[in-house]
Amino acid sequence: MSNQKKRNFQIEAFKHRVVVDPKYAEKTWKILEHAIHEIYNHNASGLSFEELYRNAYNMVLHKFGEKLYSGLVTTMTAHLKEISKSIEAAQGDLFLEELNRKWNDHNKALQMIRDILMYMDRTYIPNSRKTPVYELGLNLWRDNIIHSGKIQSRLLSTLLELVHRERTGEVIDRGLMRNTIKMLMDLGSSVYQDDFEKPFLEVSAEFYKVESQKFIECCDCGDYLKKAEIRLNEEIERIAHYLDVKSEAKITNVVEKEMIANHMTRLVHMENSGLVNMLLDDKYEDLGRMYNLFKRVPNGLSMIRDVMTSHLRETGKQLVTDAESSKDPVEFVQRLLDERDKYDKIICQAFSNAKTFQNALNSSFEYFINLNSRSPEFISLFVDDKLRKGLKGVSEEDVEIILDKVMMLFRYLQEKDVFEKYYKQHLAKRLLSGKTVSDDAERSLIVKLKTECGYQFTSKLEGMFTDMKTSQDTMQGFYANHPELAEGPTLVVQVLTTGSWPTQPTITCNLPTEMAALCEKFRSHYLGTHTGRRLSWQTNMGTADIKATFGKGQKHELNVSTYQMCVLMLFNNADRLSYKEIEQATEIPASDLKRCLQSMACVKGKNVLRKEPMSKDIGTDDAFFVNDKFTSKFYKVKIGTVVAQKESEPEKLETRQRVEEDRKPQIEAAIVRIMKSRRVLDHNNVIAEVTKQLQSRFLANPTEIKKRIESLIEREFLERDSDDRKLYRYLA
Amino acid sequence: MHKLGRGHRDKVQQFMTITGASEKIALQALKASDWHLEGAFDFFYSQPHIKSYTDTTRLEELYNRYKDPYTDMILVDGITLLCNDLQVDPQDIIMLVVSWHMKASTMCEYSKEEFFIGLQALGIDSLEKFRERIPFMRSELKDEQKFHEIYNFAFGWAKEKGQKSLALDTAIGMWQLLFAEKQWPLVDHWCQFLQARHNKAISRDTWSQLLEFARTIDPALSNYDAEGAWPYLIDEFVEYMNENGIIQNGQFSDRSQK
Repeated sequence: MSNQKKRNFQIEAFKHRVVVDPKYAEKTWKILEHAIHEIYNHNASGLSFEELYRNAYNMVLHKFGEKLYSGLVTTMTAHLKEISKSIEAAQGDLFLEELNRKWNDHNKALQMIRDILMYMDRTYIPNSRKTPVYELGLNLWRDNIIHSGKIQSRLLSTLLELVHRERTGEVIDRGLMRNTIKMLMDLGSSVYQDDFEKPFLEVSAEFYKVESQKFIECCDCGDYLKKAEIRLNEEIERIAHYLDVKSEAKITNVVEKEMIANHMTRLVHMENSGLVNMLLDDKYEDLGRMYNLFKRVPNGLSMIRDVMTSHLRETGKQLVTDAESSKDPVEFVQRLLDERDKYDKIICQAFSNAKTFQNALNSSFEYFINLNSRSPEFISLFVDDKLRKGLKGVSEEDVEIILDKVMMLFRYLQEKDVFEKYYKQHLAKRLLSGKTVSDDAERSLIVKLKTECGYQFTSKLEGMFTDMKTSQDTMQGFYANHPELAEGPTLVVQVLTTGSWPTQPTITCNLPTEMAALCEKFRSHYLGTHTGRRLSWQTNMGTADIKATFGKGQKHELNVSTYQMCVLMLFNNADRLSYKEIEQATEIPASDLKRCLQSMACVKGKNVLRKEPMSKDIGTDDAFFVNDKFTSKFYKVKIGTVVAQKESEPEKLETRQRVEEDRKPQIEAAIVRIMKSRRVLDHNNVIAEVTKQLQSRFLANPTEIKKRIESLIEREFLERDSDDRKLYRYLA
Repeated sequence: MHKLGRGHRDKVQQFMTITGASEKIALQALKASDWHLEGAFDFFYSQPHIKSYTDTTRLEELYNRYKDPYTDMILVDGITLLCNDLQVDPQDIIMLVVSWHMKASTMCEYSKEEFFIGLQALGIDSLEKFRERIPFMRSELKDEQKFHEIYNFAFGWAKEKGQKSLALDTAIGMWQLLFAEKQWPLVDHWCQFLQARHNKAISRDTWSQLLEFARTIDPALSNYDAEGAWPYLIDEFVEYMNENGIIQNGQFSDRSQK
């Protein structure tokens, strides 16, 4: 005993021994043995629980637990052996029933026996580390019945046979199955696994291997997937009804492996019904099924994704490089939008909007949209078309939707600065010709661009809007100050800030005297209020409305360009004018003049002038007359057009050159910014950082970056390190 | 100086104080003697050119012989005369070395100061001594470090006053001259390439990087690294060599181009 402050009470054992009749144990055992027999023979009602309990209790108390226990084992075993025989004798389908019935009996018996022997269970058994009664009962059952030579294999094959029958469409007794399986589970998870689950899984694998082979030969992809899904659901249901829940994952794995994983590639690439076909035909249900099934299998989704991506890239590439579609920019962009909508819907409906698929969609679009270097221009033209007329009558919400979709395409562009340049040009034309359908829509798009690219991108565009507004005010002021001009021709001037608008070369043009005087008045008025500014007239962008009276008295109002106006006004003072005379008087450059004359003399319905000779082209020796026979259904005739057009080749080259030029200072600014903060940086890192910084506007060319670095070295912003020639140093 | 360790710096200082030599010479002597002061002194006094004493009056005389009648400088005529006296071709690279010693700012003219500085550094105060020094100057070209300095000096010296870049023709001339000394096999291809493709002036960076290129990259261009931060012109040159089949996969091919 240890030295403790607190003393435990100790109860000592009985000091006196109860004298026991040596035959006592044997007698008591016989009573109990008899009881067990009765219990097994369904004769338990005549027994007294209390008496039996006491007997057992006494045996244990008098140290006869050993005898009791071994007696129990022997008796039970004997009974079980008999039971075993009767089960073996059962014929055909009755086998399982008999087994079940006997099992139930055994369970009931076991419970009773355990109750009777509870004292032993609690004292002798733990002390001597023997198996408790209930567990003992189960083990004996297992060893004598389940693992008995004749029963074991028969049990297994019966169970598997039933499962197979059910798989082939028969109805089986599920309750019976459930009970049997439960029995195996009760006997211990290793019994269930070894005696049933393992073989079950093997047989199932074999079954599905055969089944999947059969299907894949005769079904198309969609049908096959349907069948696979059905089978999968069946198995899950089977588990729920009569197998261990823990087997669910295992059997579904088997089905997934045999039916899906093993045939994945063949299914996806199946001719006429595979993934690509499903995508083309918008088969949402089939695609959804494929998604759900492949999700269960390793690499299943990535296979779908990869096939979808390469298909999309291929289709996109064709769309974009197809010469036909490049002819109509609006059509081109519309097709892109349609394609995107299509895939968006597929991903939403069939692929549960999975992020990875969205990303695959985006990266594919990014890939092929940039294959066509005219994409930025075309997108701008598309927007231009919509803002000019396409959005007429469309509700505000729908306008937003369309613009948002366009923004999505915009995001894919690598050369956003090219887009900016074109957008500016097209916007300028829209604003100046007053041809925009909705001011709100214009502004809404600017806001979206600003959110996407930052203030810098849109500051000039906003400047353009401001100029338009300011010009209106200026005009009001002008006419307020010069009330005497209200009688004459109405002048509308848009004063444009040079930095914000696309640069235009100023072209010469002699305005008719009346206009020239009016313009001068405006100029002095403007410069009166804004000293220090310089105005230059952009005659190539203006329009005019003139009233004309023709030979037979027909009156029309002609809407023409400024150039056309200059030409037409000349005919107020002359009936016949040669090309050279017109050229001299107006000083309009040759190419513009020819285009201008052509639109007035050679186009049916707009031929306000007559030309001799009547050829389609303008020759320098041609002569022009007013077309007295001019007719038109409409009073107002529109001749001049300043619509944004797809650029011609030389124009395209010019724009591209300007974009390249604009990029140079941006690259330099980025280099300087980076070097200023890092002080010293090696060549490859400079290239990487610069590219990263400029990525939101355009993809910087490493060679160009190198050239800019050299230029900066020459201008002594940077120097090479004297020891490591690959290192650059910032010079403050 | 700042690149040296403390011990070395001290030695240089000591050396300079004792011998009255310039920092450059001190460094040279110490390097040659592996930073032993004793050995450095030996080196110093055994070198004929370190006789720092030159007679200024005789220098005056020499200067006046060559100086231009109207300006206080030696101009083209004077230089030609000097070359004659030295029995040296005016195109000889030795004149570049002389100019380098003088730290001349531009070719074809020497200021009085430059003349003095140069000749004093070389320990010359007579034509005889000048002629004697010529072999020494030639040997300086063989020294890697000095050649590097002379080469880089040549850029500033050869270009027009007030210009940032060197005119192409002058550059080609200089390169021919310099690489005849240093032996770069690709110099002719380089000059051809420039005339065919570039036709613009040469920047300082390109000039100095070319020497690096000649030094480190082998003539078959096999160890040329496209990511090597070479000036753009040199990248173009490599492309040119590849395109015209002169170099194929880092090997010289048999077709040579004229």
